[in-house]
Amino acid sequence: MISSFFCNSIEWIKKAWPLIPAALYLTGFQIIVFVYLCTLSFSDQNIDLPSIHQYTQLFSDNSFRQALFNTVLFTLIGTPLELLTGFFLALLLYQSFFLRGLIRSIFLIPLAIPALVTAMLLYILFDYPGGHINHLLTGGYPPFPAFLSQPVNWRGSALFAMGISLLGKVWRDMPISMLILLAGLNSIDPELFDAAKTMGASFRKRILNIMLPLMLPSISTVLLLRTVEMWKEFIFPYILAGRYRLLGTLIDFYYYSVGNSHKAAAVAMIMVLCILISTVMLFKTLELMQKAIYKR
Amino acid sequence: MLFSKQLPIAYNKRFLWAVGIILAVLMVLGPVYLLIKYSISDIGSINTGGEPIPLWPYNPTLQSYIYLFTDKHFYQVIFSSFIVAFSTVVFSMVIGVPAAYILGRYHIPGRKLVLLGIISVRLFPDIVSVIPITEFFINTGLHQTFAGVILAHSLLALPYVIFIGIGAFESIPLDLEQQAWVMGANRYQTFMKILMPLAVPGLAAAAIYTFLLSWDEFIFAYYIVFGRQELFTLTLYLNGIKHAAPQNLLAAISVCLSVPVVIFSFMVQRYMIAGISTGSVK
Repeated sequence: MISSFFCNSIEWIKKAWPLIPAALYLTGFQIIVFVYLCTLSFSDQNIDLPSIHQYTQLFSDNSFRQALFNTVLFTLIGTPLELLTGFFLALLLYQSFFLRGLIRSIFLIPLAIPALVTAMLLYILFDYPGGHINHLLTGGYPPFPAFLSQPVNWRGSALFAMGISLLGKVWRDMPISMLILLAGLNSIDPELFDAAKTMGASFRKRILNIMLPLMLPSISTVLLLRTVEMWKEFIFPYILAGRYRLLGTLIDFYYYSVGNSHKAAAVAMIMVLCILISTVMLFKTLELMQKAIYKR
Repeated sequence: MLFSKQLPIAYNKRFLWAVGIILAVLMVLGPVYLLIKYSISDIGSINTGGEPIPLWPYNPTLQSYIYLFTDKHFYQVIFSSFIVAFSTVVFSMVIGVPAAYILGRYHIPGRKLVLLGIISVRLFPDIVSVIPITEFFINTGLHQTFAGVILAHSLLALPYVIFIGIGAFESIPLDLEQQAWVMGANRYQTFMKILMPLAVPGLAAAAIYTFLLSWDEFIFAYYIVFGRQELFTLTLYLNGIKHAAPQNLLAAISVCLSVPVVIFSFMVQRYMIAGISTGSVK
């Protein structure tokens, strides 16, 4: 038994040795990440391993609770928003029309622009007191009506700073959801729509009863991938939200501003846990939904 | 015919659809236009003293670009970005392509597990892995060096290289390889003379993708180079002067940062789309 395993692994190495450097590189770094995260987060500058001191401290820390709350909100609002914008774009492209290729390429532009640049542009546009958005909303460009009498300090308010970060994130990631959903749409047999139409189903019914159930797998993919991306968002809140923090920017705050790598590692660990939990929960929910829909 | 029957839209809905297209195009191109506009604005069109900022600059000028490209420091920054990105490409291709070859051509046991492991590297948050990796580099002396940044960027790029490479190798018919074997070529010769030339377009896409990834990467570069201004890459430079520089200069640097990415992204669009549809690209 053991010798056959040994023979097998020799055979395996003989055959697959070019795979080994890459595999070692990736697993090596993963081990480093895991070990460092554990040793850092379960200790403190003058407290030895193992101790949950960091974690108990964190949960009584107001800025951590605020960041956790912000991130949950960011994820809960951002994920559906990315799904909807992606769906909107995918539906627009789900026609064959003149210039379809060009329009699709245009829709991919946000993905090609570096996130830092998008964040920087929003930083300029939402400037206070004299940014484009403030001038627009105070009626600087007639005929656009004036909504505000005073310019707003967008980056200086928790709600708006989060809102702008979300706007940037959704704008940049729209094409990803769009492509996944478009692939899903294209895999549906168009005859189904024709058949339903012949049998007198309305436009709304065709969407609700035919398209949505068949699209559920791609919708699930989008939701799962996007939730992870939302949890780990860093660059937009880093540039745009300053002291209103998500978990990602809180890690940065603890690491460089406070200079406490142990605390930063603990927050990082909690972020990974949150991602795992929310992914499993979402996965189970989607599975149940799928079952319910197919039963009906 | 202008419309297919894919999702039959009634005539009265077509107007709505056209409005949707126009809105979406504006939504995407509007910000791009504003960025370019800012980069060619004269200072008077930015500091307007309370007047609304014009939608087209009063005196369009290339002065921000001229300033950048006569600044020695800016060349140094671009050179740093280039060195890091190029080395990342070389390193990740050298170890990634052989792995892609094995995974794309052979059905070795444990293949699924390996693929899953590779994807999970991509799903792991950057901001989480950057802390332990920075600490590790501090302990090993790689902190504040290009080597550290290159190693970290290769870690990010490897999954892409492997996935795009698998696609490239998988698409080559098995017969070709077998014929080479029958004629007495060994594995190395088959790889170099038969497979590599055929896989070149896909591998080139992987290389370009890796270059772009490293070129516009911020988090790892920021953490690993932290504090050493002479090693700053383009993204770090842009972030570093965001509070101090005038907006037209920020916009001009942003454009310089984006232009190569946008151009090359469209060159490798096909591979990128395939990657997104299978979930390997974030």
